[in-house]
Amino acid sequence: MSEDIILTLRNATKLYAGVPAIENVDFSLRRGEIHALVGENGAGKSTLTKVMAGVVTLTSGSMQVDGVDAAPRTPLEARHLGIAMVFQENSLVPTMTVAQNLFLGQEKFYNRLRGIYIAAQQFLQSLNFDVTPTAPVNLLGAAKKQMVEIARAVLHQAKVIIFDEPTATLTPEEKKYFFDLVRDLKRRGVSIVFISHALEEALLLADRITILRDGKHVVTDDAKSFDRARIVQAMVGRDLSNTLYGTRKTTVRPPGARVLTVQNLKMAPMVRNNSLSVFAGQITGVFGLVGAGRTETFKIVAGVMKRDFFHGGEVILHDKPVRYRVPAPAVRAGIAYVTEDRKVEGFFETMSVARNIYLGLLAKMPGGRFFLSSNEADKVGQGWVDRLKVRTTGNDMKVVELSGGNQQKVVIAKSLVQDPDLIIFDEPTRGVDVGAIVEIHELIQRLADEGKAVVVISSYLPEIMALSDRILVSRQGKVVEEFSALEATEEKIMYAAVH
Amino acid sequence: MIGALKEFADRLLGRGDATITVPSFDGALKPNQILEKAETAGQFEAPEDIATDGKTIYIADGVTIRRLDASGATEVRRFDRPITALCCMGDGGMAVALDGREIRVFSTPSAENAKTTFTDPSFHAVNALAPGKAGTLIATDGSSTRPAGQWVYDLMERGRSGRVFSLDLASGKVRTIAAGLNHAFGACASGDAILVSESWRHRVIANAADGSQRAVLDNLPVYPSRLSPAGGGGFWLTAFIARTQLVEFVLRENAYRRRMMAEIDPEYWIAPKLRSGQSFLEPMQGAHLKTMGVVKPWAPPRSYGLVIRLSETGVPQYAVHSRVDGVNHGITAAVEMDGALYALAKGPGRLLRAPLAMIEKELRA
Repeated sequence: MSEDIILTLRNATKLYAGVPAIENVDFSLRRGEIHALVGENGAGKSTLTKVMAGVVTLTSGSMQVDGVDAAPRTPLEARHLGIAMVFQENSLVPTMTVAQNLFLGQEKFYNRLRGIYIAAQQFLQSLNFDVTPTAPVNLLGAAKKQMVEIARAVLHQAKVIIFDEPTATLTPEEKKYFFDLVRDLKRRGVSIVFISHALEEALLLADRITILRDGKHVVTDDAKSFDRARIVQAMVGRDLSNTLYGTRKTTVRPPGARVLTVQNLKMAPMVRNNSLSVFAGQITGVFGLVGAGRTETFKIVAGVMKRDFFHGGEVILHDKPVRYRVPAPAVRAGIAYVTEDRKVEGFFETMSVARNIYLGLLAKMPGGRFFLSSNEADKVGQGWVDRLKVRTTGNDMKVVELSGGNQQKVVIAKSLVQDPDLIIFDEPTRGVDVGAIVEIHELIQRLADEGKAVVVISSYLPEIMALSDRILVSRQGKVVEEFSALEATEEKIMYAAVH
Repeated sequence: MIGALKEFADRLLGRGDATITVPSFDGALKPNQILEKAETAGQFEAPEDIATDGKTIYIADGVTIRRLDASGATEVRRFDRPITALCCMGDGGMAVALDGREIRVFSTPSAENAKTTFTDPSFHAVNALAPGKAGTLIATDGSSTRPAGQWVYDLMERGRSGRVFSLDLASGKVRTIAAGLNHAFGACASGDAILVSESWRHRVIANAADGSQRAVLDNLPVYPSRLSPAGGGGFWLTAFIARTQLVEFVLRENAYRRRMMAEIDPEYWIAPKLRSGQSFLEPMQGAHLKTMGVVKPWAPPRSYGLVIRLSETGVPQYAVHSRVDGVNHGITAAVEMDGALYALAKGPGRLLRAPLAMIEKELRA
């Protein structure tokens, strides 16, 4: 059997700030197999695949590719070993064309653009991908972007392709097409590792399934020997659902005064005639597939994006119509938006924790401040570091040096320091470790208990169901269904999000 | 000049006053079909208002006041003019508004002669009555130009001549509490203040004793109407029609609206109604209302039925609906008695009864 193995990891351990993301994990991948990695959020799936793809390096343990020791330190080194990764948030350059993205990193001294387009066209056709090579990537839909990512991996003659949540952004029809594609890659002898939260997908597609829990390997077995119940039991192990995502809600907070009303909001093509309300003292969960216009709607509310110039609809805050062209007046009006992309929009990574938090306070002050006080910044920062239990070695520690969960807490502190009435959390626990998830969830619950109007946008159903008092389901740019947390089930919500 | 330019820019860009948007039914106003499932306690020819003294439900039906009892609806008394509002007083008496121009107060519902009669010349379209503080009666008058039955004309003319009166039962004096309202329709005492529905502005306001006014509930997706106290504190607020973008648009287009009013039968105006679906000539037909011949419950409503439960501070707690595909539309009055909600659906002429336990169960389901 050993000659079947293309990639092996032994005792793989990766520590982030001393906290293990994966610990003594053994993993093996056979040639030409589809191997599903399954586990709860924070189980270590992404870290394990990032190790294989050279995005992060192991703290201890070893990796072998084709029986030879390997320790790729960059994605380029991994690619030379024949390992490519298709990320959940794709890594394409949005302003470049499909063809340019395909050949990125393989440029020659003299590049004939026409030649690149012809080669890309032939290559995409050989894969039966309906993507125009001359189209800029930012104009493509989620599924087509994924196709380009896959095509790039195949073009680089990858022997191993890793998919991180490949179907999260796809419609049911696109998913079917994706499954066919993966099976085709398998027939070509490519080994596939894919991470999925959808257990049915793992059961349907995979030859073998590996389950991780809290950074540790639990079981690897043939997919045939699993059923949904066995996977769930292995994933959850201890009754994690009670601590992390809570038991099913039996009570919900009653609605307070209406804080925000969005009426017939339009921002083509993402937000289409969207209407919703948010109430004080409640957590309003907003669920939808990627591209459902959730983030854009609330970015318009927070002044990060602008609605359509003509007949763009209305945003009413505390019974007064508002139109924010930039975020500052929205912050002063009491709206805090905690971004889903903390690394790009959430903080200045080379600034200290305290300074980042203090910046949040400055944003609330009309016209900012002429003189800034280091002492005040340290005091404010320390106060919030203590309140949110941000694990730092000191106020001077740069945000980039923190773990994902602690970075997220800094982003949240930066918003809460503004004492907002309406707090919008966009994917609040994305890329956050299990411990921090529980703390962030507790914080969100506490804010609602204090009477704040809280919005939680999440693509992860258990999170939405655990946190929300009411759940709005968004599809194709508008809210299409509302559920009370008491009546909601995963099936009902997903049905509304898809159909 | 600047105002004219701003108006032009707003019209062009669809902003400011020219924003044609309506809020959605969500949160406490999340749609259900509870009013459709409610039992019909009575069917009437021309019901206008209902009232309760805590033991009996009284119905103003055309020129007649009826009492709801085990055998059905029994006539209590009859007038020579149609009744436009009705209320039971705390001392067992009853107040009745006739033709919107006269208010009579009786010591009992069946008393032969009125104890007090108010015929103030400023009364024009009295459409709701409620007991006030210290021997007073509160009356809302929808319009000083149109009678109560012509509320749709008042809406299309963008009437803003609604008033609220306080009537002193002892002295017979009439005091104007508020004027210039966009169709006052329904009032209820709340502590020292008086809650008033201002229908065409889609809001409920509180008029304080010192004359100040504040919005308690604003930007509703419906045209609110009568208010009544709810058991355990809070209020019942009825809404006789729901807002649509089409009607909001028509209300903005003055020339179009004037021409429509001059040339089209009011039955077929692009305007809300208490009952719809009676004729194929009605506006808002076709695919935006029906799919495969079935009315979509989420379609833009020409008529609608809604009762909202408000807390003591005026925050909506929940609502019971009759959606577009239902028939119990045009809810103009609701009262609570014996653990049940009684709602008057003026559209089909029905008195509906929904036990609060049933409502609670339905909302939990």
